[in-house]
Amino acid sequence: MDQKISQMKWWAAVPLVVAFAFFFPRLLINTLGADNPWTSYLYLYGFGTIYTGSGLLLALKSGACKLARPKDRFWFTMVIAGFCYFAALHGVWIYLALSIPYLGGQ
Amino acid sequence: MESMGLELESGSVMAIAIVAILYVAVITAFGGYFARFNSNINDFFYSGNRFSWWLPAASMVATGIGSYSYLKYSEQGYNTGMSSTMTYLNDWFLAPFFFFGWLPIIYFARIKSVPEYFERRFNSAARYISLTIILAYMFFYIGYNLYTIGIAMEGMFKVPQLYSVPILAAFLGAYVTFGGQTAVIFTDLFQGIMLYIAGGIAIFAGIYALGGFDEWWSFLPVSHRLPFVHLNADPKFSSAGLFWGEALAGSIAFTFMNQGFLMRYLTIKSVNEGRKAAFFNVMVTLPVSAIIVGAIGWIGKSLVMKQAVVGGALAGYDFVQIENTFHTFIIVCWATVKQNPWIFGFVVAALMAALMSTIDTLINACAAIGIYDLYKPLVKPEATDEHYLKAARWASIITTVIGTLLVIWFNTQKDSLMNIHYKGIMTIIPAIVTTIFMGAFWKRFNSYAACTSMVVGSLVTISTVWYPYVIAPVSWFFSGPEVGEFIYFRALFGMLVTAVIGFFVTMVTSGENDKDVTGLTIGTLDEAMISYKDGGVPNHALGQKAKNLVATIDENIPTHWIQLSPQAMETLAANDGDVIYISDSRWWLGGLRSHHVKATSNSKLANSEVAMSTKTFEEAYMLSGYSLIAEKII
Repeated sequence: MDQKISQMKWWAAVPLVVAFAFFFPRLLINTLGADNPWTSYLYLYGFGTIYTGSGLLLALKSGACKLARPKDRFWFTMVIAGFCYFAALHGVWIYLALSIPYLGGQ
Repeated sequence: MESMGLELESGSVMAIAIVAILYVAVITAFGGYFARFNSNINDFFYSGNRFSWWLPAASMVATGIGSYSYLKYSEQGYNTGMSSTMTYLNDWFLAPFFFFGWLPIIYFARIKSVPEYFERRFNSAARYISLTIILAYMFFYIGYNLYTIGIAMEGMFKVPQLYSVPILAAFLGAYVTFGGQTAVIFTDLFQGIMLYIAGGIAIFAGIYALGGFDEWWSFLPVSHRLPFVHLNADPKFSSAGLFWGEALAGSIAFTFMNQGFLMRYLTIKSVNEGRKAAFFNVMVTLPVSAIIVGAIGWIGKSLVMKQAVVGGALAGYDFVQIENTFHTFIIVCWATVKQNPWIFGFVVAALMAALMSTIDTLINACAAIGIYDLYKPLVKPEATDEHYLKAARWASIITTVIGTLLVIWFNTQKDSLMNIHYKGIMTIIPAIVTTIFMGAFWKRFNSYAACTSMVVGSLVTISTVWYPYVIAPVSWFFSGPEVGEFIYFRALFGMLVTAVIGFFVTMVTSGENDKDVTGLTIGTLDEAMISYKDGGVPNHALGQKAKNLVATIDENIPTHWIQLSPQAMETLAANDGDVIYISDSRWWLGGLRSHHVKATSNSKLANSEVAMSTKTFEEAYMLSGYSLIAEKII
């Protein structure tokens, strides 16, 4: 019974993900524009959050990652930290690219 | 073949050729040395699963950079700037699936190849369907790498591919054939260092020519400084397409399906060390590699812009003109090293290193599939280790020959190199990566669904080469490009078609028996660990390494078992029967002299003693007079 409830919850997320996949990029394009680098950034990390998040959720639900085990807990933290690292790296990169003057047009 | 725009004098050609030939000869001899570490096919293909994480991780540097990488990404860097790094910096999303799913599954189930996984998870039909697709993928890469280096040699030195490709293939085929995976790992480690040094020299020369880092950045157009391109303007290179084609399909293919990378992870001593290697690969190796292969393009763009501002060539340098952007790497390097043939020869040797280090891995991987999935199950199921080792060497030779012959086919293709590459890969991989994913992460997914989805998914994806417009609705839904060839969205289309077929076939057919998939899906990893330990209870308690151990020989101890003092067992937090990794204490060997054994406690032993039989000692390639380290695996 518990397993059935668990599966129902899992499939219930599918329509939400499909709706997100359709509306999220359109929201970005309408508000920021398709040529804005932050649009590409948010597209990548918006879908990336679902991608990585579903992996972590699956690992926890299946018992493949048990947070009571020290090594599993360590790697669970590292996955989240790695995600944040790349998100920060790309964010700072875009900021620097836009904020430092370009001399080639002089 | 058109010239690359380099006017090389005969003296320069000679100097470049000497450096390049010397390099190839040294690598071949170095790789051949490791033949002595292959006593059976497990050693030949998986190096006895003995290495520390850093050795395969460092060797992946060279494996991940092909001969086409410098040429292709420098071109991309010149055309679109630092967004050329996109394909290297979007792999992290896959991490939880690999760390907690695929890596433990293949390690604890002792999977040797993806086709073998398909047989154990599904059935024989699934095994051979997957084998066909995987071989197509790997032979494509071998042929493509040889083809690109052939083109580069032809363009630079006017050497016809008819001569350059077979000669290069013969050299690298030689050391793979004799040295196996250990040779591949150690030569790739060496070649990775070579790639970074050569790339570093080329980058330094370029930045120096520009007048420093600030000048380079200041003359780089803003559009070229950004890490992303337009979301969906260019169907051949867009942020949306790259996410679905590369971060999703491409990353799964490289990490889950590429037999070469899979085997590299299987040479590592434990799952935890495998995670470290993967972590290092994505966090360090890929970002640095992205810079190494793309930076010459960014420098080339900045250089051209600065030339336009100053009204001619930079002081002390020839005027740089890039008419065919595919030659960006060669042209910019040649100009910024001031036509020095010895330094340029070193850079050309790096191109060869990139070629050799990618293809040696693929040859070894194809040979592994040939032995484990074709020869052993179908031709000769029962034979001695010596026989299989001999067969493995023949398989390496045959693979090299087939890859070389494929260059003829690549020469008949009319498309650009970039398009040939992505069209090929994005057509081959979608069906199989989806099937692997569903097989590993969805227990109910069964053999009927796996076979149907792989066959139909592949056929539908291939059909989009002639009917690309069917991809348009998928691309539109995800706000991708709405016109064009949909190179990356072809992969997403293929994955969705395969997933839908797999889902519906699973729903209308009965599920597999739980027992059949035990240890082969993410939900059954605890059982996989028990099976790995031959029925023993996994021990997850954290212990420490027992260091400075001295080996004593006791022939009464069974092979693959050791005895330790109770205190050493306590240090390891180990129980009798736990799997222990024992190795030579010299860390820089990376586990070359080591073994997985089981341990029992013996109160008669001193704290610094480890007792084992002569056979165990020899199988670990240990040497007398060197201290040992023990650590508990599980």
